[in-house]
Amino acid sequence: MFVLLQDVQKHSVHTLVFRSLKRTHDMFVSDHAKAVALDDQSYKMKMAVKMRAEYKPVLHMPVLKEGRERGPLHASDPYGQLGYPLPGALPHYLVTGTHPYPSAPGVALTAETQMQKMPFLNSGLLPRKAPTMPKPQWHPPWKLYRVISGHLGWVRSIAVEPGNQWFVTGSADRTIKIWDLASGKLKLSLTGHISTVRGVAVSTRSPYLFSCGEDKQVKCWDLEYNKVIRHYHGHLSAVYDLDLHPTIDVLVTCSRDATARVWDIRSKANVHTLSGHTNTVATVKCQSAEPQVVTGSHDTTIRLWDLVAGKTRATLTNHKKSVRALVLHPRQYTFASGSPDNIKQWKCPDGNFIQNLSGHNAIINTLAVNSDGVLVSGADNGTIHMWDWRTGYNFQRIHAAVQPGSLDSESGIFACVFDQSESRLITAEADKTIKVYKEDDTATEESHPVNWKPEILKRKRF
Amino acid sequence: MSLASFLPAPTQLSQDQLEAEERSRLQRSQSTALVSTRREPPPYGFRKSWVPRSLEDFGDGGAFPEIHVAQFPLEMGRKKRTSNALAVQVDAEGKIKYDAIARQGQNKDKVIFSKYTDMLPKEVLNEDDPELQKPDEEAVQELTEKTRSALEKQVSQKIAAAMPVRAADKLAPAQYIRYEDSQNINLNKGLAFNSGAKQRVIRMVEMQKDPMEPPRFKINKKIPRGPPSPPAPVMHSPSRKMTVKEQQEWKIPPCISNWKNAKGYTIPLDKRLAADGRGLQTVHINENFAKLAEALYIADRKAREAVEMRAQVEKKMAQKEKEKKEEKLRELAKMARDRRAGIKAHGDKGGEDTEVRERDEIRHDRRKERQHDRNISRAAPDKRSKLQRDQDRDISELIALGQPNPRTSSEAQYDQRLFNQNKGMDSGFAGGEDEMYNVYDQPFRGGRDMAQNIYRPTKSADKDMYGDDLDTLMQSNRFVPDREFSGADHGPRRDGPVQFEEDPFGLDKFLEEAKQHGGSKRASTSGRSKDYDHEKKRRKE
Repeated sequence: MFVLLQDVQKHSVHTLVFRSLKRTHDMFVSDHAKAVALDDQSYKMKMAVKMRAEYKPVLHMPVLKEGRERGPLHASDPYGQLGYPLPGALPHYLVTGTHPYPSAPGVALTAETQMQKMPFLNSGLLPRKAPTMPKPQWHPPWKLYRVISGHLGWVRSIAVEPGNQWFVTGSADRTIKIWDLASGKLKLSLTGHISTVRGVAVSTRSPYLFSCGEDKQVKCWDLEYNKVIRHYHGHLSAVYDLDLHPTIDVLVTCSRDATARVWDIRSKANVHTLSGHTNTVATVKCQSAEPQVVTGSHDTTIRLWDLVAGKTRATLTNHKKSVRALVLHPRQYTFASGSPDNIKQWKCPDGNFIQNLSGHNAIINTLAVNSDGVLVSGADNGTIHMWDWRTGYNFQRIHAAVQPGSLDSESGIFACVFDQSESRLITAEADKTIKVYKEDDTATEESHPVNWKPEILKRKRF
Repeated sequence: MSLASFLPAPTQLSQDQLEAEERSRLQRSQSTALVSTRREPPPYGFRKSWVPRSLEDFGDGGAFPEIHVAQFPLEMGRKKRTSNALAVQVDAEGKIKYDAIARQGQNKDKVIFSKYTDMLPKEVLNEDDPELQKPDEEAVQELTEKTRSALEKQVSQKIAAAMPVRAADKLAPAQYIRYEDSQNINLNKGLAFNSGAKQRVIRMVEMQKDPMEPPRFKINKKIPRGPPSPPAPVMHSPSRKMTVKEQQEWKIPPCISNWKNAKGYTIPLDKRLAADGRGLQTVHINENFAKLAEALYIADRKAREAVEMRAQVEKKMAQKEKEKKEEKLRELAKMARDRRAGIKAHGDKGGEDTEVRERDEIRHDRRKERQHDRNISRAAPDKRSKLQRDQDRDISELIALGQPNPRTSSEAQYDQRLFNQNKGMDSGFAGGEDEMYNVYDQPFRGGRDMAQNIYRPTKSADKDMYGDDLDTLMQSNRFVPDREFSGADHGPRRDGPVQFEEDPFGLDKFLEEAKQHGGSKRASTSGRSKDYDHEKKRRKE
């Protein structure tokens, strides 16, 4: 007889129900539609018992060959049921219906997509164990280590040079300033815009800097002479953001006139006008793979565009409020969009919804993502949330203090970028400063533990 | 390992199984056939009593004009009531396509999310999962090239449209195409068609564009935009209803300016001050006021203490001085006493000396005073001496000061009481008679002078008051108080405001006599003087 070291804990019914639910969820989280895999031994036992119990009198009769032939000929059951994945069945026994990420309802289910071979059948292995809830990767917390002041108005945009030597900021004081990245000192100040400079971008293929402002101007600056060499004329209202295509010499700008325009850099010609949005287009991102242009707008939709035709490929209407921020993952084929209700992750090229990152309940002005999987969201109230990209775990919340002399309400983040080494985060703020953050080296997994509580019971509303 | 494999075959097939067998047989037969058989209408000439009734009767052709029956091959020609209802469509698997509405005007391949499962979060995948990887380099490069060429074509078109006229482009060389009629290969057409040949060779050349040709179409016409593509299905729950309470929270009161009132509204005062923020501010008084007040109190107290101390010190000093002086005086007195008492021997000279000295002192003092006065009069002549000052004083002042009248008359005046001092008991004093005025023997100035000294209006002085006609005014009869009878004596001209008549009753004389007689009272005269109630007489008295 042994003595119980611990008394059996008495739990409430609610706790027990929750725990069993949790276990069920763990088991089935990967595929709701997948049926429970059969256990070989139990199946055999069941069959043996059934036959002996119900069909004992006819077991002695011979089994005809035709019957056996007829069986496999019926590719699907006459009643159209899902066949159980029987162990040891013929290799061409196929199962219908299961398909991860069905791409679209209209995609015709051809022979290839309809049927899918169960992998374990071929290999003859036992059914796979259902995957458990994913654990978020540990990231060190970020801390502020430099504040750069010099602008006389809100700092609205930031871009880092491809060689990681300097970065550019555009501000509401109508100037563009170039700062040294290592020391934070001002190198150059460019004037020429008549109103707030809303977007800056540095080209990787030529020594050009592009800037756009609320004065409808899009300027191309030659950095060897520090002068404006081109103007791209055509927007009817304030230009809010711009982005350069990584491989083609093309510039895309988006504006308050509900259009995005594609410009040929050399000839200043307006190649395409991407219209379709019904309200201000707040953000635009370009990449070399499909979809080549993604825009987010104040009409709460995100549009993926076909650059060749100049038409919308897909419209994503999942957000409830204006989408002010977009970011493309540098390594994965995914992107994220930010809006005051949620940050959502999507899969390219069709914009399949992956997951929600909720918790940052403020107007999100900017998003930035790291190769390590750190997603940063900066909001209009000055808070920064740091997320793990893969699981959506918010591991840090920062609210930096304002510059002395500024009011507390003057805290807001308008833009944030990682530098090219992805070790420094540079943010452009509403208290006219630029703040630089870096990872805290002294933190370890023990000092800053991962506190991951995924929501299971709560019914999600989309 | 299914159950059926262990059991013997059933001897009788059920209805379901029969149907299933027939279906599979059909499938098998369909899959092997190359050409499907269809019901064909009877050929031309054999259609006498034949009427096409169903769609298959038409075969793959159209209506038959020789059969006089309404025919609708492929349902064409029937009057349809147009509705914008979409027919229910079914996809390849047999499931109804519910998103056909969302895909109305668009390509079948276009990506549109309309199912509930599109909204659900997907499983979190590992980072290395092939689903999440970017397409490989070659695919990306291919795409880039395709895009770039397409964009360049667009750009060049736009630029060419703006560029001036150039020489005509060189055309590409001609293309030759061999054409064979695949459908009607075996049809015997004879020489009529294609000159009997089975094939044709076609030469295709791009048509030359005239470089000087102006644009063919007018593009300045403004036409309304076409309908937009159907809106994408909304993939989120509808926004929550606004409760009345929440709506009230966001209400902004109208702006009532302290400066502008464009429409001239009359707004009650409490509304005018409502937006001022009066109730929200707490009045902050700087603490330095309190500090100042305290500092003043302290300073005051310190000053008082200092003053007190100083006063005390001074008092002590004064006392000391006084004591010293007293000492000195005591010593002097002692000396004097000693001198007088003990040291009288050589004190005589001293005594005489003292008297002489005193008289000398007095003389000295008086001389000094006289000099002082002379100096003052020389130095400040305005500051007159006492005698000079009193000369200009008014008589009332002199009376008040009790000083003698400077303008004494040439003859000395004597008090009447000095005369007739040997008269007797009732002389001089007159027994306390009040009304007898007997102090002086002659009047002070005499009646004659009095009138002259009294104010008389002159012509020049009153011009601004009375105007130019002063003479007429003066001689006007309108303001005569007493209108006498015509013919009455007008009387003498006035000599002043108060006109003294010639004494008709001889009262003047009478009074003078009375005075000279010493003022013994006579009842009859006094009584008569009282009866006579003329104003002027009374005044004189």
